[in-house]
Amino acid sequence: MSSIFYFFRESLTGFTRNLSTTLGSIITIFLSLLIIGIFCVGGAVVNNVVSSVENQVSITCYVADEAEQDQIDEVMDYIRNLPDVQNVSFTTKDQALEDFSSTTSNSNIVDQLDGQNPLPASIEVELQDAQQVETIAQEIASYAPFQEICDEDDPADAANSLEYGQQTVDRLFQLTNAVRIIGIALVALLIFIAFIFINNTIRLAILARRREIAIMRLVGASNGFIRGPFLAEGALHALIGAALAIGIMEVLRNIVLPRITAALPWLPLQIDLSLFLLIYAALVVAGLLIGLFGSLLAMRRYLKV
Amino acid sequence: MTNDHSREVLGKHGARAQRRPAPSHSSVASQLSESLPVVNVDSIAQNTGNPVITFDHVTKIYAAQPSKPALEDISLHIFPGEFVFLVGHSGSGKSTFIKLLTREIKATQGHIYVADEDLTTMRNWRVPYLRRNIGCVFQDFKLLPNKTVFENVAFALEVIGKSRHVIRTQVPEVVRLVGLQDKLDKRPDQLSGGEQQRVSIARAIVNRPPLLICDEPTGNLDPQNSRGIMDLLERINRTGTTVLVATHDREMVDNMRRRVIALDRGRLMRDQDRGVYGFDV
Repeated sequence: MSSIFYFFRESLTGFTRNLSTTLGSIITIFLSLLIIGIFCVGGAVVNNVVSSVENQVSITCYVADEAEQDQIDEVMDYIRNLPDVQNVSFTTKDQALEDFSSTTSNSNIVDQLDGQNPLPASIEVELQDAQQVETIAQEIASYAPFQEICDEDDPADAANSLEYGQQTVDRLFQLTNAVRIIGIALVALLIFIAFIFINNTIRLAILARRREIAIMRLVGASNGFIRGPFLAEGALHALIGAALAIGIMEVLRNIVLPRITAALPWLPLQIDLSLFLLIYAALVVAGLLIGLFGSLLAMRRYLKV
Repeated sequence: MTNDHSREVLGKHGARAQRRPAPSHSSVASQLSESLPVVNVDSIAQNTGNPVITFDHVTKIYAAQPSKPALEDISLHIFPGEFVFLVGHSGSGKSTFIKLLTREIKATQGHIYVADEDLTTMRNWRVPYLRRNIGCVFQDFKLLPNKTVFENVAFALEVIGKSRHVIRTQVPEVVRLVGLQDKLDKRPDQLSGGEQQRVSIARAIVNRPPLLICDEPTGNLDPQNSRGIMDLLERINRTGTTVLVATHDREMVDNMRRRVIALDRGRLMRDQDRGVYGFDV
């Protein structure tokens, strides 16, 4: 028990001995943990976005320009009688163009069409249960009257005339995967740098104490006792780095996040406190791993016991 | 080794020391031991019991010099309570001998036993516990410059996990034994060379090891301080501690008339009770 205090005391004196390198290793650990944490929160936000898109459970069935109105009514009646369907409405070509021109940022694009309208009319289907999107989409696609009026040439391709949340979600996933790979690469780089910094700091600490180490070996201090202070020092740097990262994350959570929510109300940023606590625990563990492995590596190379 | 046991041994030998006739040191300087009057040293241990140190056909070859063994086929025993000089020129293998004993290096061939433990097959993690039973003193003292005398001696106990109570009782006692009780709060740079070596000896024996190894303990000291250190080592020996001293100090070896082990280019040349230095420089 007394040796734990001894390790702690020794690691504290190591602080003042190599202040600049100590600060360097703490800051690199802090930054890498902060970036890991921000990516974790970002991932949670993306998951929220994905699930909110999934919750917009509507199916758009595009209809060919030649379709007769009574055919469309027949299909709409059929869909309306399917289970879990909440509402069915019809969007004409003109309405589609209007919607498009009101959402696009390039207002000239409509004028450049020379009075032609390339957008198809569509039947909008709203569902009660998000889980049913797939089955209902299949049922609509296999319904013969719809296959006749769908905007595909071949009635067998009717499924391609349907658009629903899943496709948007897939596209979102492609985006988030790219972001995730970049994030992992960045974090790996930062962890590598933090490793090197810790390694160097512990190396300097070992060099500064080499006389003491020689005497400790001489009088029979156990290997664990000789290594202890350096492990404690690495762990202490990591813990301080993690504490700083958590502090900054808390500031972001309490001050910056509400402002983003106010500025971008459509972005679903509501993240549970429990998730934040989980991320903080993960940061502490990751920091400890970096610190302990960094100092172990330095000891393997520079501390022969 | 408990405190009580050590004190008992100290008392017994102290009583015996008073009965001892004054040794006649003066005329022995550079003559052969055979022609000298027999010095009455009754504290030379009888070669009974288990040896503290056994070398069994030990050879050490450094990788850098494969054709020239640092030690070649050394076999000897050192028994508890002996006072042994290890002499030889530079490069004769004295330091290798001592490094083998503290298992800083491993023997290439043969077996070394310290207190019935085979160092050649000893696991690495046991080595610190071996070293707790061996006190070491070096020519360059190896004191920590930023610690006081008390702290330097206490450090040896601190790092093997001894309690504060043990440190507070044992350190002043051993510092008194080496005669530095008035300088507990001085730093090494405020002490003379002889005093620094006494601190180093105090640190080596504070854990009451049964074996004390000294590598050139008087190499940096003037003759008067050297004599003081040797007297101290002799007193420690009388408490029952086995003392092994590697030295170049011809006068000291010839005066003290103890067992001498002479090495020359890695070979054991001579192993003699009540011997002399014996090399022509």
